[in-house]
Amino acid sequence: MIDFSGLRGAVLGGDEAAAAAAARKALDAGADPVALVSEGVSPAMDEVGRRFERGEAFIPELLIAARATKAVFEIIRPLLAKKGARPAGRVVMGTVQGDLHDIGKNLVVALLEGGGFEVTDLGVNVPPERFVQTAREKNAQVVGLSALLTTTMPAMKATIDALRAAGLRGKVKVMIGGAPVTQAFADEIGAEGYGETAAAAVGLARRLIA
Amino acid sequence: MAADKEALYQQRLRRYVTAMRKGKPDRVPIRPFVAEFTSKYAGYTSQEVTHDFEKAFLAARKCAADFDWDAVVGNMVYVWTGLTEALGLRYYAVPGIELPGTTAFQYKEPSEEQAFMKEDEYDALIEDPTGFLYNVWLPRVSREIAQIGRPSTYRNNVALVKTAMAMLRYFFAFGDQAARLRSECGTVSAIAGILKAPFDILADKLRGYVGLTMDMVRRPKKVLQACEALAPHLYHVAKTTADPTKTVPIGYWMHRGCVPFISPAQFKSHYWPTIKPIVQELWKDGHQVLFYAEGNWDHHLDSFAELPDCSIIYHVDMGDIFTVHRKLGHKFCLSGGIPNVLLSFKRPEDVRARVKKVIQEVGRDGGYILDAGAIMQDDTKVENLRAMTEAGREYGVYSSGVSASIPEPRPVPPPPGEGMAALPPPRKRPGVCIPWEEKVKEIPQILGDRAILQRIWEEQEALGNMFIWQVLLSF
Repeated sequence: MIDFSGLRGAVLGGDEAAAAAAARKALDAGADPVALVSEGVSPAMDEVGRRFERGEAFIPELLIAARATKAVFEIIRPLLAKKGARPAGRVVMGTVQGDLHDIGKNLVVALLEGGGFEVTDLGVNVPPERFVQTAREKNAQVVGLSALLTTTMPAMKATIDALRAAGLRGKVKVMIGGAPVTQAFADEIGAEGYGETAAAAVGLARRLIA
Repeated sequence: MAADKEALYQQRLRRYVTAMRKGKPDRVPIRPFVAEFTSKYAGYTSQEVTHDFEKAFLAARKCAADFDWDAVVGNMVYVWTGLTEALGLRYYAVPGIELPGTTAFQYKEPSEEQAFMKEDEYDALIEDPTGFLYNVWLPRVSREIAQIGRPSTYRNNVALVKTAMAMLRYFFAFGDQAARLRSECGTVSAIAGILKAPFDILADKLRGYVGLTMDMVRRPKKVLQACEALAPHLYHVAKTTADPTKTVPIGYWMHRGCVPFISPAQFKSHYWPTIKPIVQELWKDGHQVLFYAEGNWDHHLDSFAELPDCSIIYHVDMGDIFTVHRKLGHKFCLSGGIPNVLLSFKRPEDVRARVKKVIQEVGRDGGYILDAGAIMQDDTKVENLRAMTEAGREYGVYSSGVSASIPEPRPVPPPPGEGMAALPPPRKRPGVCIPWEEKVKEIPQILGDRAILQRIWEEQEALGNMFIWQVLLSF
């Protein structure tokens, strides 16, 4: 039985070097990389998310924890691939057409990766057809749309409409977020998920896939 | 006609200033910060108003005249891309170039690796902020400017001359615009001067938000020293660009310094201690500051309440204006609180209901100015903005009379040890690039009047200094 508490602590505290060292140590001791994620990284990231929701942690804490997680994944990704381990889910993320803001989107990407998801990040100013094409290519289960401006919120609807027109709405769920976006807007445009904060995205994606 | 407009202007100025000083005017002043909304209303594209500021000015005047607003900003499509293209600034996506002509300009934050200031450059910034901006920052943000030490270029020289002249042209045009708003529309120019917080500027234009967040983990002391080093320069810019008559406030554009972008502890250790002294010092001289609290700053209301009564006007975007009113309403005039989502996506009756509620609760005793939460872009529906304006007039009446005079500010000095005295003295004097004391050493002999040489040298120095800080703050 391998103790992952050191790894959890390092991720929680956002210490990249300590997290990488703890991951290497655990692997050297024979740890299963899948367990390293499910018992080490993911619980720590979930705890950061809970702290964020409770107002005890803030974006800086999320960001540094995500960095530490990334350092761990750089070590274990080849091992996971070799084992044929399945990701928690496949997500395509992007900031919608006309909008160039990416802080929130990047944070969601980092948190999803930390939660064990396979994420394809399309960047900013992404046209609806690119979401459609990538969702199809990657066999995505979730498409995540971000917008900061009220002027670009209609592009969220356009993207959902394009997914529908392409016949993908039965296969992919859509989650949306961004400062001006609300649950009411999500309902209105037919998005299955809405996250008020980046921290909500991981739980949301899990629920949408479940 | 002109006399009518002047009478209207005087009436509106009293109304606006009375509210800002926490008084109860004849009715709630209406001061919408309309950005690309003006282009839609006047029949222009985003590209036209962003690239041709005369069109932006005309569009703003058309809105002010047609809607009969009390105060507006001369041009809230604030980045003139004619200037930013002359300088080759990398950080804007320009309508008509990389964005469709119908889309508003946007700021492009570089990736962490491409940040305009590197993580090991804090000492250089702290030692001489103006020198750092000219020597290091400008060549990085510009496609035209050559790096220091590399051969200068034709493009470099032309870009500097063009941009400097363009800047003067643009700023002088604002003076004209204010005069025309007054004479043609009877409308007040709502603000004068610019202020940004040291921490916000570090996040936005120097290290980038993510880079600065990491610096707050790895080198928080350097970040604090950098904020302290920037503060006297930002104070200087605010003071020298402010309304000399101290009638309208200085715009303070708040950006990244709030929870959850930073933690409450970081706000208390870095953000607030390096902006509060500037505000205190400006108020000592009678300059009010408009806190344009973009996003949601409700977490920090207790800190803002430390400021002297009437020293600021607090503008609410996505914060809860009713909470803000409970916490700050006894001290400061408030503005905003009408959500942009409402103005863009809902119906006129929804807007009317919101305006009624805000005026009845927040504007009850005066000290409230009607406006949307954020600047209004071209998604704001005309009928909704009309509904906001009309509801403001209908529900915002306090009395039939008009205040007789413009209330004077009643400034107070900061307590001992506060204000700019709370910060380390600047290592290099703000407002100057090459001080006269240095220059004079190069002159072998002065045969005539030394004083006039010094005065005129320093006046041009001030322009050279203003140029780089305005590129940083306003463009």
